[in-house]
Amino acid sequence: MFDDLEIMSTIEMVKNENLDVRAVTLGINLFDCISHDLSVFKKNIRKKIISHAADLVQVCDTVGEKYGIKVVNKRISLSPIALVGAPFSPDQMVEIALELNSIAKQVNIDFIGGFSALVERGIANGDKSLIAALPQALAQTQRICASVNVATTKAGINMDAVLEMSRAIKKAAALTADDDGLACAKLCVFANIPQDMPFMAGAYLGVGVADAVINVGVSGPGVVKRAIERNLEEKKLSLGQIAEIIKRTACKVTRVGELIGREVAENLGIRFGVVDLSLAPTPTVGDSIGEIFQALGLTQIGVPGSTAALAMLNDAVKKGGAFASSHVGGLSGAFIPVSEDLNIANAAHKGYLTIEKLEALTCVCSVGLDMVPVPGDITEECLAGIIADEMAIGMINAKTTATRIIPVPGKKAGEKVTFGGLLGEARIMNVPHLDLKDSFVKFGGRIPAPIHSLKN
Amino acid sequence: MNKLIITVLGKDRPGIISCISNHLYDLDCNLENANQMILQNQFAGFFIIEPPSSLTFDHIQKILTEKTRDTGLTIHVNALEGNGKGLDNPGDEIFLITTIGPDQKGLVARFSSIIAEFNANIVNLKAVFKGGSDPKANVMSYQVCISRDVDAQAMFKALKKKADQLNLDIRIQHKNIFDVINKI
Repeated sequence: MFDDLEIMSTIEMVKNENLDVRAVTLGINLFDCISHDLSVFKKNIRKKIISHAADLVQVCDTVGEKYGIKVVNKRISLSPIALVGAPFSPDQMVEIALELNSIAKQVNIDFIGGFSALVERGIANGDKSLIAALPQALAQTQRICASVNVATTKAGINMDAVLEMSRAIKKAAALTADDDGLACAKLCVFANIPQDMPFMAGAYLGVGVADAVINVGVSGPGVVKRAIERNLEEKKLSLGQIAEIIKRTACKVTRVGELIGREVAENLGIRFGVVDLSLAPTPTVGDSIGEIFQALGLTQIGVPGSTAALAMLNDAVKKGGAFASSHVGGLSGAFIPVSEDLNIANAAHKGYLTIEKLEALTCVCSVGLDMVPVPGDITEECLAGIIADEMAIGMINAKTTATRIIPVPGKKAGEKVTFGGLLGEARIMNVPHLDLKDSFVKFGGRIPAPIHSLKN
Repeated sequence: MNKLIITVLGKDRPGIISCISNHLYDLDCNLENANQMILQNQFAGFFIIEPPSSLTFDHIQKILTEKTRDTGLTIHVNALEGNGKGLDNPGDEIFLITTIGPDQKGLVARFSSIIAEFNANIVNLKAVFKGGSDPKANVMSYQVCISRDVDAQAMFKALKKKADQLNLDIRIQHKNIFDVINKI
């Protein structure tokens, strides 16, 4: 039997601290669906996705009910469409996106990821079509998530792709101007994209994987925050002791994710992949990464000390998760998405968090400049420069970084934008020198891979 | 002779376990299992023993009763039915059903009746009712073994309905979630 404290603390985690499984993502390999004929390809992918995913939502709900832990999002990630749909034109790529959107609705999932290309070394025909199709594909669909990997530590940064992506983002924003550029909230540009990430918008299924796989994304910033607060209420602690508390909490949260993920996988008859033990916030009070900074004694995220605090948080989460599970993957760290975290959005609005500080924070945590609304009149050169800077952090530090920047058409810094649901709302962040048209990003070619990529 | 179960009840104080176990030792009984709990100031202990073949049931009961006469303890000796085999079967699942909310008379009676009606077995129960408004001060936690032939969903629905009627917060969760969070 469990003692009273164990029972009550477990119930508290779910009831008041927002512990949940953020995403169960079913990865589906589409390489056996390839055809040069679009109608055959569409028929093949529909059949394959539905055959694997028909019961996904129902199984997740049943398992969630059994353990009293909600599986918030059920999602699908696919083999990169630029690879499996390599023969198709941009217009045909848009048709594929519409087909996937329709399939997502049929199986009742909120997002389907993998409308993706891997172009760190160069842009092939399929990649070119997919990137050209991105603005229309994202504007015409609701449930498609797209990602393009433009850099790796091994390959360097493909600056042609960086500029292309800046243009695609601007176009996608313009096409969804009435919704504050919502299409861009479903589009990530990556360095070192993980092949097994369950979190959107960057989830896709890499190559070298089984036909289908279940990856799980846990969450729990509220649980971590309360654990810190509870212990600090009892006694004074050093940062080393606080890191230990975070580590232990992350371990518990990860074990919950793995338990649920494995049971979902078993019930679906699909191989279990990884647990991504990221701390992912929602726009809800008590489910915020920003609040952890306050629990650590900082006024708001973004003030001096924030990078050190985030470094400690991110590392402790990784250590706790690595102890809990032998199959940890994805991003596994702390997310700092501006609009998706009420507290972070607030810190940006009050001026504690600037875009420059945000970039500095991304040096020590997962993801990067995530869900950052910027003025719509930012130049493509300036936007490409921001993307290139973020990619450089990922490339040099051999870690994943990404940008999910939304240039909001017709709006200026300080104005409010609302994306809705988990995507949240925020004030547009100020971007200094956003009207510059510097030629640096137009030299093209590749920034070479760093010396420490030569490991063989 | 078959195994025996000895139940010891009385006001808690130092030395109860020592007293009983030493008497059993003197009688050459082999102690197989022992467990105890204290509710408020009352001690309850259970001892499963295998007595030597030379002793009868009556003899053991008589000796233990005599030796503990002035201790204030109440001793029961019973034969262990089925020689100790439990009810658990392969495929049984354990759920924790926890209610939190205001104390009222008859809470345990009402919830345990529903569990019994569905033929599920309560394998552990902890109930603390301290009154007052602190929700954590009024908690019932049932560990319930549910076999394959129990309609678990219907039972959970009935329990949730009862909790709603009584203004209690109820949580029904498989035991494994408590294991992964608390037992590392």
